[in-house]
Amino acid sequence: MAGSYDRALTVFSPDGHLFQVEYALEAVRKGTCAVGVRGNDCVVLGVEKKSVLKLQDPRTVRKIVMLDDHVCMAFAGLNADARVLVNKARIECQSHRLTVEDPVTIEYITRYIAGVQQKYTQSGGVRPFGISTLIIGFDPNDEIPRLYQTDPSGIYSAWKANAIGRSSKTVREFLEKNYKEGLSKDETIKLTVKSLLEVVQTGAKNIEIALMTADSVIKNLEIEEVEAIVSEIEKEKEAEAEKKKKPTASTS
Amino acid sequence: MDAFVNRFKGSSTFLADEISMLDGFGSYDAVKEFSQPVFEIPAVQNANCTDEKSDSECRIKIEHGTTTLAFKFQGGIIVAVDSRASAGNYIASQTVKKVIEINPYLLGTMAGGAADCQFWQRELGRHCRLYELRNKERISVAAASKLLANMVYPYKRMGISMGTMVTGWDKTGPNLFYVDSDGSRYKNDVFSVGSGATFAYGVLDSGLDYELSTNDAIELGRRSIYQATYRDAASGGSVRIYHVEKEGWKFIGLYDVGKLHWEYCGL
Amino acid sequence: MEFLIGITGKDFVLTASDTSAARSITVMKSNEDKSCDLNKHNIMLYAGEAGDTVNFAEYIQRNVRLYGIRNGIELTPKAAATFTRKELATSLRSRHPYQVFLLIAGYDITTSSPHLYWIDYLGSSAEVPFAAHGYGAYYCLSILDRYHHPNLTLDEAKGLIKKCIDELNNRFIVNLSDFKIKVTDQDGIREITI
Repeated sequence: MAGSYDRALTVFSPDGHLFQVEYALEAVRKGTCAVGVRGNDCVVLGVEKKSVLKLQDPRTVRKIVMLDDHVCMAFAGLNADARVLVNKARIECQSHRLTVEDPVTIEYITRYIAGVQQKYTQSGGVRPFGISTLIIGFDPNDEIPRLYQTDPSGIYSAWKANAIGRSSKTVREFLEKNYKEGLSKDETIKLTVKSLLEVVQTGAKNIEIALMTADSVIKNLEIEEVEAIVSEIEKEKEAEAEKKKKPTASTS
Repeated sequence: MDAFVNRFKGSSTFLADEISMLDGFGSYDAVKEFSQPVFEIPAVQNANCTDEKSDSECRIKIEHGTTTLAFKFQGGIIVAVDSRASAGNYIASQTVKKVIEINPYLLGTMAGGAADCQFWQRELGRHCRLYELRNKERISVAAASKLLANMVYPYKRMGISMGTMVTGWDKTGPNLFYVDSDGSRYKNDVFSVGSGATFAYGVLDSGLDYELSTNDAIELGRRSIYQATYRDAASGGSVRIYHVEKEGWKFIGLYDVGKLHWEYCGL
Repeated sequence: MEFLIGITGKDFVLTASDTSAARSITVMKSNEDKSCDLNKHNIMLYAGEAGDTVNFAEYIQRNVRLYGIRNGIELTPKAAATFTRKELATSLRSRHPYQVFLLIAGYDITTSSPHLYWIDYLGSSAEVPFAAHGYGAYYCLSILDRYHHPNLTLDEAKGLIKKCIDELNNRFIVNLSDFKIKVTDQDGIREITI
């Protein structure tokens, strides 16, 4: 049975790979892009939305979901897998409140989700979750915005800004270049939209933004608001292009 | 917590064996590791074998006589307890330590069954440490007391006898909770538990003021326990006092009530 | 010696509960809130066996919240009461039944109407215009029978609750020093004083 490690999940390949997990990561790379950015006193999630078909009800397609009143999650990869994971996480959030009174911390629920994902790489008869997640929120009695990422292997890590899914490398590089400490609310939203525009060609109608502020209130931006930000960004870009042109014009 | 998850087995979208795969993950379930007795549970039979009230000839007479108290004031929390262990009419010990140091910033007091209190609070200590290691921060007093209440609640009506106060200082400041084997859990500024509690309450309530200085607060705690030992036959020995501060608890001292008696008489 | 009461009015439910937590002859606490918010428009008042009450109430509360966050739509008062009743009925047939008495009060935002459910530990559930649990019910139900009408305004309801509390203070042997009074209406749940 040469090569059976390619299909059986719990078997290593001779060079130490778990192929199924790597295929799951590939599924994530095919998923629509999601971005998370931490500001000074807020944290923003932005996702690339698939175009809604003409007769489809857009409310039934959700890529940003609430796990608890103060925790929000976005994902990239297989939608259906995400639903299962979200369900588990939501139960854990309520269960945590029931056992220790306090709401979950963002790290706790991230660790839980990553833990579930890890279990599915080491158990028989299952396949890994084909999703990466970005989890944002504020810890109880705390003002610091949090942003975590998990992936199908069960790794989790904290970030100032990060992207997952399709072309996430481009977006991450963009964020690395443009991220500044202590961003205000508007600046954070703008940076999120800007970074998403790197990979979303169709503009505002395919972008969904959720903003969480220190009072742990989540706000989903209306399409008009996103449109306004997009047009603002485009104007800036034009002005910059203009500026670049001018010096060349003067020298000529 | 498993009971909570199990409730979803029937109605939920995912399979039962999937959940069992995740059993125990991130949970703090003492019940899991401390399995239930295989024999018929006493509570289901007519009488409770440790309940002296319903049956004075009950098979197990456990240590009940105690006075413990704790109260909040501007400097934190004072915890004061007596030190007598009695079993029926017999004084088993005069030097029992009824304050359980769960960890350097959490204290538990002991009233009711000594073994029950000791066992469950040690168990609580273990969970608190695990919580700390997992979450990289100290457990809040609210969470710790809730863990204790959740741990003993499944054993309700099986004969556990425990009336305890969980105190400590966390992110939200000084905190004081009362937890007992009925599964009740209350947060308040003043508590007294045990057979001498009524006597202690009398002195404590009439002398209590939030603005008390630390020395006055310690004295109030000592005096309240002393007065309780004076009237309650099942309380006595020495008064043991702790002060809960921001940096954790501090042991104040051990005062023989026999000596205190002469002091308070002015001799 | 606990006491719970609820009165529906024109577009609200007024609920009140005593605030003393007693162990044998001692009042351990005199400001205990014996209610919990199930969601924005539903409140549950509980009394009964110590330990069981809070544990059961929180269990229901967490499940109702879970439903809300899972489905993006909140349970109506009727749905919450039905769920709670079923849980109690299941528990009654187990080894350790929860011994709790409940009032579930809520404002149904889908039909803009107030609802009140009276539930006991045997799993009986009834929708009623007003209800009470505990010895206090023996004094208060007659008052409510006499003065209650479906178009009660909030001020009238407050007056009614006051009448009930005054009667308890006057005739009832136990001193229920203080009460927590809450209104549930269109805007959610809020505490008020009379």
